[in-house]
Amino acid sequence: MNLHNAKKTALPIMNLVKMQGVPILDQLHLEERLLRSDFKNWCILNVGTPQPTIVMGVSGKPSELVNIKSVIYNQVPVIRRFTGGGTVIVDKETIFVTLICSREAVPLLNLYPQPIMSWTGTLYHDALSDFGKFHLRENDYVFNNLKFGGNAQSITKNRWIHHTSFLWDYDVKNMDYLKHPPRSPKYRLERSHEEFLCKMKYFVPSKLIFIEKTLNSLQKHFVLRPIQADDINALNIPYAPSSRLLTKEELEKELLSTTA
Amino acid sequence: MAWRRLARLNLSRSRSRITSLHYLLSNTSPDLSSESLTASLYSQFPKLTATSISHDRRWYSYSTNLGQAQAISSGGELVEVPLAQTGEGIAECELLKWFVQQGDHVEEFQRLCEVQSDKATIEITSRFKGQIHQINFNPGDIVKVGETLLKILTEHSESDSSERTSPFDVETSSADAQNQIQVSSFSGGVLSTPAVRHLAKQHNLDINQIPGTGKDGRVLKEDVLNYAINQGHICKDSPSTDKVELFNEKGELRGNFVSTSAYEDKTIPLRGFHRAMVKSMTLAVQVPHFHYLEEINFSALVELKEAFKNENKDQNIKHTFLPFLIKSLSMALTKFPLMNSSLSEETSEVILKGCHNIGVAMATEYGLVVPNIKMVQSLSVLEITKELSRLHELATHNKLNTDDVTGGTITLSNIGAIGGKFGSPLLNLPEVAIIALGRIQRLPRFDEDGNIYPASVTNVTIGADHRVVDGATVARFCNEWKNLIEKPQLLLLHMR
Repeated sequence: MNLHNAKKTALPIMNLVKMQGVPILDQLHLEERLLRSDFKNWCILNVGTPQPTIVMGVSGKPSELVNIKSVIYNQVPVIRRFTGGGTVIVDKETIFVTLICSREAVPLLNLYPQPIMSWTGTLYHDALSDFGKFHLRENDYVFNNLKFGGNAQSITKNRWIHHTSFLWDYDVKNMDYLKHPPRSPKYRLERSHEEFLCKMKYFVPSKLIFIEKTLNSLQKHFVLRPIQADDINALNIPYAPSSRLLTKEELEKELLSTTA
Repeated sequence: MAWRRLARLNLSRSRSRITSLHYLLSNTSPDLSSESLTASLYSQFPKLTATSISHDRRWYSYSTNLGQAQAISSGGELVEVPLAQTGEGIAECELLKWFVQQGDHVEEFQRLCEVQSDKATIEITSRFKGQIHQINFNPGDIVKVGETLLKILTEHSESDSSERTSPFDVETSSADAQNQIQVSSFSGGVLSTPAVRHLAKQHNLDINQIPGTGKDGRVLKEDVLNYAINQGHICKDSPSTDKVELFNEKGELRGNFVSTSAYEDKTIPLRGFHRAMVKSMTLAVQVPHFHYLEEINFSALVELKEAFKNENKDQNIKHTFLPFLIKSLSMALTKFPLMNSSLSEETSEVILKGCHNIGVAMATEYGLVVPNIKMVQSLSVLEITKELSRLHELATHNKLNTDDVTGGTITLSNIGAIGGKFGSPLLNLPEVAIIALGRIQRLPRFDEDGNIYPASVTNVTIGADHRVVDGATVARFCNEWKNLIEKPQLLLLHMR
């Protein structure tokens, strides 16, 4: 036991923030600030965002990724986030898990996309392999061949962020807002959303168990330190994040430019 | 409604806090509505200290998989910074933004730009200290691995750093200190720069064994080179013959010195005309071509050319077949305007071009280029000759301007001047026809009376876009043109 504790204290500290129902835009703002203006390790957990929201990667044209007409008509918010990667539609049944780390947090980890992706794959494999055939397939987390977790990253000089949106459950109708992206993973094989995705709730007994398992897996690499709301406010992080909501005018302009 | 609610959450406007973070396992959890507010921004957060610089394998590497030379920083040198291979099989990235601009001074490890590959945005930092000399890409551009992102004029010099005592040293002392931390972590104690380290590696030397003569025992470039000579080291594994030593240990010229460069692969970057050719041929290949071959008797034309030559008072003008062929081509196009057209796929229309802007393919030392002669239908054969000469002169010296190489409506390729009988030329889009002239050969042919005579014949291959023209059109067009060439008097009859 002593050895275990001793070993534990040698692990780096990771601040843990647990949230529920915080809007995804706020979460992205917080994450970007912590990535760029802080130097500690963080794990941000957010269970659900209040309303179905489309979140696009840092580049990429809305007209190619999203059915703009129905998005405007149904007033679905569209956010452009600060990390790369694809487009997702998230709602109150999406679980967000974000890891923000400094260079030395994970020993011998090279700060490139693939090694980081691979490392998180082993992390979630530890957490989820009891519940199904978990794989990291290209850049997605899958059970068998069905995707339930999408990833995105940003790598800076000495830090990296890897965030995941897990589909605990989703409304298949919402997926119709998303087009088949111009670049999609090979294993997708032209499948529609229903045939390509799966709901975590059919594999994992409860959200609580998923989170517990994930944190247990994290604790093999970090000492987790829960952070209170006041502590975050006290950080006073002076950074203006770039993730933003696209305005209706921008979307209309995009729609006009493609139909013109 | 949803729009307005979320617009209120826009950070740039709000300075409120996350006041109600709902803890997952808490019993007294307030219900978070979408009105929850964002974290606050105040400016008293302690400054980041870069204490975590250790072995820094940033988004660059000492040796790229593409074998491109990494310039060794050695003072006042212009170095090219490529998008380096990460060994992940990523072939290209999108450039998102620059953190520097031309003329800016940058320090080692300073952020240069941000790129995106698949799922990740990645910051690229500088290996060198220097000034941004040239930026090659704009935000939104796709950059292939190996392409040069920018050029930096380095200012760092290993010998200078040990001897200089100017105030500049004082300002950069903290940077130097960081560099020292940086480099000592590489080798466990020996101070040197990455460039010197690379040089030692190239000479298969252990840098820890090399005595340093620089400041604080720093190993300098000269130390490495002196050590290499003293040890009698030869650059056995050096890929470049520049490093192969011509003199042995005794200072005598090496016998049996064989240049290894003759057997090595050479990489030629695609630039200028060649690059344009790659692009245009790639497009051309998507068009359904068909080829039509015909034999044309140039005998009458040969006589005409001789006549022009004899009457020629101007020594500067050289009469060739080409101007005549161009003029007769224009006359044939008047009868068959479909051969001088362009397809508009979006609108499903064929545009019959009003001008006969006849392009002439020219092979120059810079590559293949196709300048065109504008409005041939309004030019005389002499005027065409002069214009052709002008374009040829410009092409030879790579001085053609945009106007000369754009707006062509049909192309003529006199490949026969170099050699060959048959060809299958590719279209010069957006044109619908291209004509390749083979070599003029002296062959026996029958005249009208059934007698054999030596004829000057050439094979002509017409390549055409089968979406626009069909075989019959091309055949009739070619017959018309052939007739004009074989009977030049007809040209006189129809000339305007």
